[in-house]
Amino acid sequence: MSKKKRDPIGRFRSDMGLNIIGAIVLLLIVFGAVASVIGYISFTNAFKREYSTTTYHIADTATALIVGDHIDDYLEGRETGEYELTKGSLDSYCDRMNVSIVYVIKVDRSDYGHFTSVFNSVNNTVDNTSYTPWEPGYVRETTNDEYRDKYKAIYEDGSEYETVYRTKTSGGINPHVTTMVPVKDSAGGVAAILCIQRPMRELSEARRPYLINVAVSAAALAALSSVFYALFFRSNLAVPLKKVSDEANRFARENVKGEGLGHVSRFKEIGDLAASIDKMETDMVAYIDNLTTATAEKERISLELSLASTIQENSIPNIFPPFPERSDFDVYASMDPAREVGGDFYNFFLIDEDHLALMIGDVSGKGIPAALFMMVTNILITDRAHMGGTSAEILEFVNHNICEHNTADMFVTLWLGIVDLRNGMLTAANAGHEYPVLKDPGGVYELFRDKHGIAVGAMDGVKYKDYTLQLRPGSKLFVYTDGVPEATDPENRMFGVEKMIETLNSDPDADPRDVLNNVRRTVDGFVKGAEQFDDLTMLCFEYRGQDDKTDCKGDEKDE
Amino acid sequence: MLNITKTVEGEKTVFSVEGRLDTNTAPEMEKAIRETIPEAREIVIDFEKLDYISSAGLRVLLSAHKAMSSGGTLRISNVNQPITEIFEVTGFSEILNIG
Repeated sequence: MSKKKRDPIGRFRSDMGLNIIGAIVLLLIVFGAVASVIGYISFTNAFKREYSTTTYHIADTATALIVGDHIDDYLEGRETGEYELTKGSLDSYCDRMNVSIVYVIKVDRSDYGHFTSVFNSVNNTVDNTSYTPWEPGYVRETTNDEYRDKYKAIYEDGSEYETVYRTKTSGGINPHVTTMVPVKDSAGGVAAILCIQRPMRELSEARRPYLINVAVSAAALAALSSVFYALFFRSNLAVPLKKVSDEANRFARENVKGEGLGHVSRFKEIGDLAASIDKMETDMVAYIDNLTTATAEKERISLELSLASTIQENSIPNIFPPFPERSDFDVYASMDPAREVGGDFYNFFLIDEDHLALMIGDVSGKGIPAALFMMVTNILITDRAHMGGTSAEILEFVNHNICEHNTADMFVTLWLGIVDLRNGMLTAANAGHEYPVLKDPGGVYELFRDKHGIAVGAMDGVKYKDYTLQLRPGSKLFVYTDGVPEATDPENRMFGVEKMIETLNSDPDADPRDVLNNVRRTVDGFVKGAEQFDDLTMLCFEYRGQDDKTDCKGDEKDE
Repeated sequence: MLNITKTVEGEKTVFSVEGRLDTNTAPEMEKAIRETIPEAREIVIDFEKLDYISSAGLRVLLSAHKAMSSGGTLRISNVNQPITEIFEVTGFSEILNIG
């Protein structure tokens, strides 16, 4: 209920148009009041001036009726005939001039505190009054200080006339002026003061319609202005703002450029706002277009990378078991690039029926450059291996070929081994790669610190050295890239070679597939989801020998 | 994270590196060295506070070594045990001037 009640006020507070109109109406009311007051004051003053001047002339004329030299005679009862004559003239003058009182007084000049009445003519019909004429010789206290000052001004300062205004009705007496002029004797001195009290009926009569006129005009002006401003603000402020606001809302909803707001208001600020909205829409649409293009480009690159990744994965054997018809050995390998494509790789292939080549490599750097370098290296080795020769000879050839065109200063660490499957003799060479891990039948996995050459691509003309190892049925060989020992946990600790060997020995009899799965699982458990920056590649080979020629699956264990 | 502090003593420039020299930080190291090569006759890289070097870091060293071999020297000093092993395993100890 209370909410409903407050709603109109709330609307008034929040509606800009109503606010502005309200403010204008209020302003005009204040303005009208001020104008009325100023008008009232100037009207009254003009009226007073007019009255004062006119009354002065009436009074001045009246003084001609009085003989200034005889004032004292009148008071002392002399010249009674002349007094009566003068009194009669003043009475009829009072009637003719439509003034309330004409009176002549002689003021006590010691302190102007009281005066003596000389003549006093009253016309009570003029202003509906009930004055009783003062008898000649009647002494009266000066009414107040204002009168006292006026009397003094006439007697002492030679003032032509003085006026006292009573603009308000008080004590049942309507507004009136009292104008006083000096009555002079033949020597030019002031003998008495003639006062005329004249009603200002016209003032009150004219002032009321004047006030009404002003008030009505102000009200009409307020109403007209309100309507005008209401229309003006409506078309130049409220409506344009609503247009801008609607357009902004529409754009936020649809994200499609509108027709443009164009010129909406004569106010610069609102015009600017509309222009800003138009510009924002254009920019935003362009931005969205750019973003769409960029996203499409990103998708294209992503697609290319995914294709590249597939190509790279398929450039090395990735179907296991790779040699299901062979029971004399088993090999399993995995490659997990840190990015879509990587620089790590493994490879294995039969050079002929009796010779199996095994290799693992790690190109410096990551991503596409490393992947390209890896592809080249892999192809060179594979091709060269099929031409015959020892591991060292193959590596020297590949090193020379790579160094010739190696402007990027990239290199690849490589371990290459060739197993004679007839007798288990392994001939291998190491170009800067991690030490292999070996396990003799019945023994444990141990790091084999083989002879090392320099990484392939680092320096031209390098000689590599072959070494041989006699594998026996059940012997296992594990090679890996640095991604395994250098796998890092959230506290930046590395997995390490010791832990790797430990993991291998946790299940020494596992076949190559289980060996790799076991290591992978342990590494994953170690890093606990910390982001890995290096590729992780492993290869495990198990020699089983020629004594069992049955068609066992490659991933089955030797007996 | 890698902090590189460069000290120039005449024609000799010493880089003290601290942290990990890997794929993420190698470009920074490469840039620092490349800027120095034209003016330095001797570059020393102090590995005392280096925790780890990856193949990307080795590539930077190889690159610098090749660039300096024509009229200057590049030396790696204060190499700790784990990094010495990396140099030995990769064969870089045979190419680089270590000590």
